Amino acid sequence: MGLLSWLILLPFLTAVAVMMVPAERWKMIRWISAAGTGLHLILTAITTYRYWQLASPEMAEMKTSLLTKLYLVEKFDWFPSLGIQYLVGTDGISMLMVILTSIIIFAGVMASWNVAERTKEFFVLLLTLVTGVFGVFLSFDLFLFFMFYEVAVLPMYLLIGIWGTGPKEYSAMKLTLMLLVGSAFILVGFLAIYHTSGLHTFDLTQLATIKYPADLQYWAFPALFIGFGVLGALYPFHTWSPDGHASAPTAVSMLHAGVLMKLGGYGALRIAVYLLPDGAKDWGLFFMVLTTINILYGSFGAIMQKDLKYFTAYSSVSHCGFVLFGVAALNLMGFKGAVLQMFSHGVMTGLFFALIGMVYGRTHTRVISEMGGLAKVMPWLAVSFYIAGLASLGLPGFSGFIAESHVFLGGFFGNPWANSTATRVLTVLATMSIVVTAVYVLRGLARVFQGPVEDHHFLELTDATFTERVSTGVLVATLAFAGIMPWFLIDLIEASIMPIVNRLHETGGSFAMY
Amino acid sequence: MLMLPELIVIGTAFVLLFTDLFISDRQRPVLGALTLLGLGLAAGSVVWMMPESGQMFGGQFAVDSVAWWFKLLFLIAGIITVAISIDLLDGRAKSPKQRLGSPGEYYTILLFSLSGALFLVSSRDLVSLYVSLELITIPLYALTAWKRDGISGEAGLKYVILGALSSAFLLYGLGLVFGLTGETNLELIGKVLQPSPALWLAAAMITASVGFKLTIVPFHMWAAEVYQGAPTPITAYLSVASKAAGLALMFQLFYRVLGHYLVHWSVPLAIFAALTMTLGNIVAIVQQNVKRFMAFSAISQAGYVLMGFLGTTNEGVPAMIFYMLVYILTNLAAFAVIVLYSNQTGREEISEYRGLARTSPLVALALMIALFSLAGIPPLSGFVGKFFLFSIASQAGFHWLVTLAAVNSTISLYYYLRIIRQMYIEPAVEGDGAVPVTPVLALTVGLTTVAVMVLGIIPTFYETVYAQTVSWFLPFIK
Repeated sequence: MGLLSWLILLPFLTAVAVMMVPAERWKMIRWISAAGTGLHLILTAITTYRYWQLASPEMAEMKTSLLTKLYLVEKFDWFPSLGIQYLVGTDGISMLMVILTSIIIFAGVMASWNVAERTKEFFVLLLTLVTGVFGVFLSFDLFLFFMFYEVAVLPMYLLIGIWGTGPKEYSAMKLTLMLLVGSAFILVGFLAIYHTSGLHTFDLTQLATIKYPADLQYWAFPALFIGFGVLGALYPFHTWSPDGHASAPTAVSMLHAGVLMKLGGYGALRIAVYLLPDGAKDWGLFFMVLTTINILYGSFGAIMQKDLKYFTAYSSVSHCGFVLFGVAALNLMGFKGAVLQMFSHGVMTGLFFALIGMVYGRTHTRVISEMGGLAKVMPWLAVSFYIAGLASLGLPGFSGFIAESHVFLGGFFGNPWANSTATRVLTVLATMSIVVTAVYVLRGLARVFQGPVEDHHFLELTDATFTERVSTGVLVATLAFAGIMPWFLIDLIEASIMPIVNRLHETGGSFAMY
Repeated sequence: MLMLPELIVIGTAFVLLFTDLFISDRQRPVLGALTLLGLGLAAGSVVWMMPESGQMFGGQFAVDSVAWWFKLLFLIAGIITVAISIDLLDGRAKSPKQRLGSPGEYYTILLFSLSGALFLVSSRDLVSLYVSLELITIPLYALTAWKRDGISGEAGLKYVILGALSSAFLLYGLGLVFGLTGETNLELIGKVLQPSPALWLAAAMITASVGFKLTIVPFHMWAAEVYQGAPTPITAYLSVASKAAGLALMFQLFYRVLGHYLVHWSVPLAIFAALTMTLGNIVAIVQQNVKRFMAFSAISQAGYVLMGFLGTTNEGVPAMIFYMLVYILTNLAAFAVIVLYSNQTGREEISEYRGLARTSPLVALALMIALFSLAGIPPLSGFVGKFFLFSIASQAGFHWLVTLAAVNSTISLYYYLRIIRQMYIEPAVEGDGAVPVTPVLALTVGLTTVAVMVLGIIPTFYETVYAQTVSWFLPFIK
């Protein structure tokens, strides 16, 4: 078993270990979970280093390649009669997503330190879910990918249904059903690609050697893009997201907004655009319009919210719109921006939801107008909140700025197969959302943390505990690292994005490198 | 020698019948063990003889790879049905309204029905085909009415009337086929058959009757009432073995006889499949009784199976057989939990499952795994089975049907989640303790649940089915 299989297996083994512990010893359960996810973080670091060692000498070559080159591959036949195999591997994009997930789940476990009700089931489900997420990011066989994809979605139902707040059963059901209808479209697309290719394999790297017939590309691309788009909160299929995030318990919101929604953008880029480039050219502008609506709708929606979680959920819709906007721009800059935004938004929104959970755990309200002056009683949480807020409005120095500037540049350079005026107008419209974001973020923060203390009970509240400091500290550090030294991330992903761009142009990277 | 499994089953039935006469009530539990022993031996003999093909009685009775697999499916279904009946028949059920009487006759009749199913896949002649089909069905009429209360009796009566009607259709259809060709041997019929208006009439009648067995919409009307009224183990048996028999009948008629015309059947079959899965799923949403609910869930599953017939690929055969294997184990795992719960508490409404995860977490987990597998959630075997069927439909170009089927899986997940929600999210009924578990049911639930989990992950099972049956229908299509 290689490194990557361990990355997938470790959370699952941790879940099994948790299952073995009697339910009364819930303190031990959370220590096991923390140890498992902490170990995972270390393993991820080792894997990243190994990947870097192997890949960096070959990056120049990769940039002119039409095919994604995988590293640390593990492969064996699973159902040979159908060409299904266990195939895990990694490239820069996958590696970055694994790093993100590993950080978020560690912080998520730290932020769930106080889950006392049915602790055992909570951690088992959480770790199962994250096993699925790692599986999706590392598998390059479409069957395996789909299998992990559903494993990542389903535990959400119980996690929200049991430990959620508010209209939790309604939200849980809505979320599960919408996401699974999305995956139904993905399945149809996968099977059509598999049978049309005639290669008798689900291996993504081999499927990418074929040029698919135009009619298939024309209908399968939107099926796949919308299928993934449902999970990536593509307008108008985003409606599960605010309800789901608002009802979910803290760690689940973190994981869901931080990582699961990225599966959508990841799949759209890696599978829909990569395998079906002609379909992407036909539909690029259409999806650019939808994602522009996404961005604006999300940010205007956030202004109107009274509940902190709904507020963040709508802002997530807006920010996830950036991811899909970058993908729909169909150029290198856009793709890079999309991947960076996935990372940046994942960390940022993870931090947001962690903080909201911590504040709610103290004040027992999430209504913005009922809070005020909290910075006086909980300075650590307030400062972290400010950092998350500033990162989300794209302040230079944090990762959000890097990602969003890439996305907007990508949009402005535009999709080469669409009307350039149209893409520029859309980009300008989408850029407006930054102003709106500044309005709602600053206003919300000011209301919650500044001013006089609204309720004298708040004066008795305490600041962050040790585990909460670890959780938020890790996330803040990641945001700052990605903002100040973005070239680490860009170098990691750029060579892996180029094959997707090259396949769009059907040449080996001789065109402009914007 | 080739008839060994059938002979063992019938022999066991007679042994049971006579043993029952000579033993006292206190010794009756031995009958269940005897039945399991007989079925186990029969299943063992099937596995022992498995891929060999051969024939007896001048080709009237023949076995080939597909026949062996169907026999194994029927015997697995039979063994699990007996295992979940034992507690009810031996008086271990706490709830008096669930108990069943006359174990000797019950097992005997069940075994006769099973032997009919075993003969069905081996018969190569219209007459023996029809006779074996009746041998499956007539014992089931009696078993459905076994509880002798109002609702069970009503179910039995409905089943007799509609079942007789469907048999009449089949007989008429087969008669027309004989009239058109002058042959009763299935493969000879296939060779001399020419298109004619009467053939279409015959095909329509045969379709109606096969549809009745497989609960294809619009021939599904009997299912809900019969499933609800029958004793729960018989409901389980009807939902799997009777369906597998319908599928076997389709294999005999559509592949063996009408193999040349298979490509013309694709569109009607796709429409039947679409109707069946959609209607089954939508009606299941509003059910309150868990047995009626399982009836509609079973109807929708039949719709998925039909997808294996689309196109002319030979990969449909292993996909359907594998799906049937998965479906039998999954559905029986769910029914084993339902029987366990209703034995101890007498509860059969969905809302009465609330809080089960808190009082008996393992029982709830087993039911959740079975339901998720029925809904086609990976990595459980139900997902893998469905995926292979969807792949067949996609290969035949029916992308709209694949979309509909995949969306239907989501709808089905909605209603399976209703039960899971009751078990996991709702609080337990005041004063409920852990549900007591009897050893036989614990073993059954445990084994079937493990099977549901590993069948889709360990490739050996599917690959074996594939290797043995993939080229089976090539001789019938050219």
